[in-house]
Amino acid sequence: MKSITFGQFYPSSSPMHRLDPRMKVILAILYIVCSFLCQSTAAFIALLVSSVLIILLSNIPAKIVLRSVRPILIIIMITSLINVFMVKGEPENLLVSWNFINIYTEGVFNAIFIVVRIFALVIGSSMFLTYTTTPIMLTDAIERLLSPLHKLFKLKVHEFAMMMTIALRFIPTFVDEADKIISAQKSRGMDFNSGGLIKRAKAFVPVLIPLFASAYHKAIDLATAMECRCYRGGDGRTRMTVLKLKPRDFVAFLFMLLLGVGVVLLNRVPFLYVM
Amino acid sequence: MTEKNVKLSLQDVSFTYAKGTPHEMKALDNVSLDIYADTVTGIIGHTGSGKSTLVQMLNGLIKPESGRVLIDGEDVWAKPKEITKVRFKVGLVMQYPEYQLFEATVKEDIAYGPKNLGLSKEEVAERVKSAAAFAGITQDIMEKSPFELSGGQKRRVAIAGIMAMHPDVLVLDEPAAGLDPAGRKLILGGLVRYQRMTHCAVVIVSHSMEDMALYCDDIIVMENSKPIMHGTSREIFTQEERIVNAGLDVPEVTALLKSLRENGFDIPYGVYTVDQAINALHELLKQKKRKGNN
Repeated sequence: MKSITFGQFYPSSSPMHRLDPRMKVILAILYIVCSFLCQSTAAFIALLVSSVLIILLSNIPAKIVLRSVRPILIIIMITSLINVFMVKGEPENLLVSWNFINIYTEGVFNAIFIVVRIFALVIGSSMFLTYTTTPIMLTDAIERLLSPLHKLFKLKVHEFAMMMTIALRFIPTFVDEADKIISAQKSRGMDFNSGGLIKRAKAFVPVLIPLFASAYHKAIDLATAMECRCYRGGDGRTRMTVLKLKPRDFVAFLFMLLLGVGVVLLNRVPFLYVM
Repeated sequence: MTEKNVKLSLQDVSFTYAKGTPHEMKALDNVSLDIYADTVTGIIGHTGSGKSTLVQMLNGLIKPESGRVLIDGEDVWAKPKEITKVRFKVGLVMQYPEYQLFEATVKEDIAYGPKNLGLSKEEVAERVKSAAAFAGITQDIMEKSPFELSGGQKRRVAIAGIMAMHPDVLVLDEPAAGLDPAGRKLILGGLVRYQRMTHCAVVIVSHSMEDMALYCDDIIVMENSKPIMHGTSREIFTQEERIVNAGLDVPEVTALLKSLRENGFDIPYGVYTVDQAINALHELLKQKKRKGNN
């Protein structure tokens, strides 16, 4: 009976939390595009400043933000090191030359830019989406944003979103269930802490089979319960909470456009280094 | 009754779920109790009184926050790496155990535990057979898939799986929950027969007073994460007031006899099964007849 909080949603009532989830999905995409548009030192500084602003507006403690960056730290380090050593710049920009290692100013700047860009990518996806939007809101937003595809190509957008919602809903249930089954099999002498790799993998069979059987039963029960309440897919279905864009959503959108235009303009500023 | 030997004992055991979070919940609060060998002990209490936590403590699934769990006088957690050995000594059947079945046939499923003990094939087969008999599993379903069985049958297969491990202490968390009276009788009666044959200690958790009165030698009453009463069934059910105060029901016959007593009938205390009640009422009617004749 562990209390496992699924996902990274951090409850708060910050300006970021109150934005319309659809708008947040759009903003996250635009922000990622912005980070790829950056090509000059000035533009990257603007990007960094905007990331900090976004974090402040989300009211997420710095500790949690850093935790989200930690898993990709190694990727950031490797890519920046490769840039430092591999990028070949103009001969007059040679910084260090030792045996076969040549480090150019271009390489150093590229490395720094990549660090900032990846940081912005993580911030963009986590601050707009995972930290400030509940998984249910997110699937709802995706359904609404993709609904034109339903009209144009008859894609099953609602069904797809419903599948995602159900999957998310059942993760904590199955964590609980797995916990119980593991306890039960431990009581029957199951031991997955000893023996070789194959023996350990085999030790999981008594957990996986009951878990799968229960998932299958729950799926059938859920389907029956949904049919009993006359669920018949998305056509003609109304919603309990209707999403409505508010002025603040348009303001946020405007700021994001400004950032995009700003970045493009700043790319021409010959400050320190331009790609 | 002869002197009882302590088999399992808890000393000042406390446990809190999700400690240090807003969801913190105290499940056991400084619990000390003894469970005797060769006895059927019932643990009874309200939902959330800490019963399920207590039984998971008994076979080392949960480590106490403070205090000690002793089996035959030895600390269960002295060598955490050898906790599996403790689980062979104390067999636990969890709540709704039917969800733990996984093998292709009932026979193989019951054999899973004994196989983990490292027994010979003949020994395993022998144990599976006898455990199945105690749990009331008929020969014709032994070769079936456990997924084809009814809920009550599955439950009995799961119980047989633990019985076949021949634990010194057999602990069952709500073994009869959600079953019809016939199913309850089959499981609980089988358990008592098994205990009388093997002389091991059996611990049954339940919130049905009727079942407890009928099948248990000793009863522990839990309230607010603590045991508040511990004694023989007779001792416990003569103290109706305290049980009612703990928010539990006394068996229906006990309640009936109590109201008769309050209305001036001469009925002895400590009557808590239907058979005993019939005898007591019979006695009462005889006396009345005699008085009428005089």
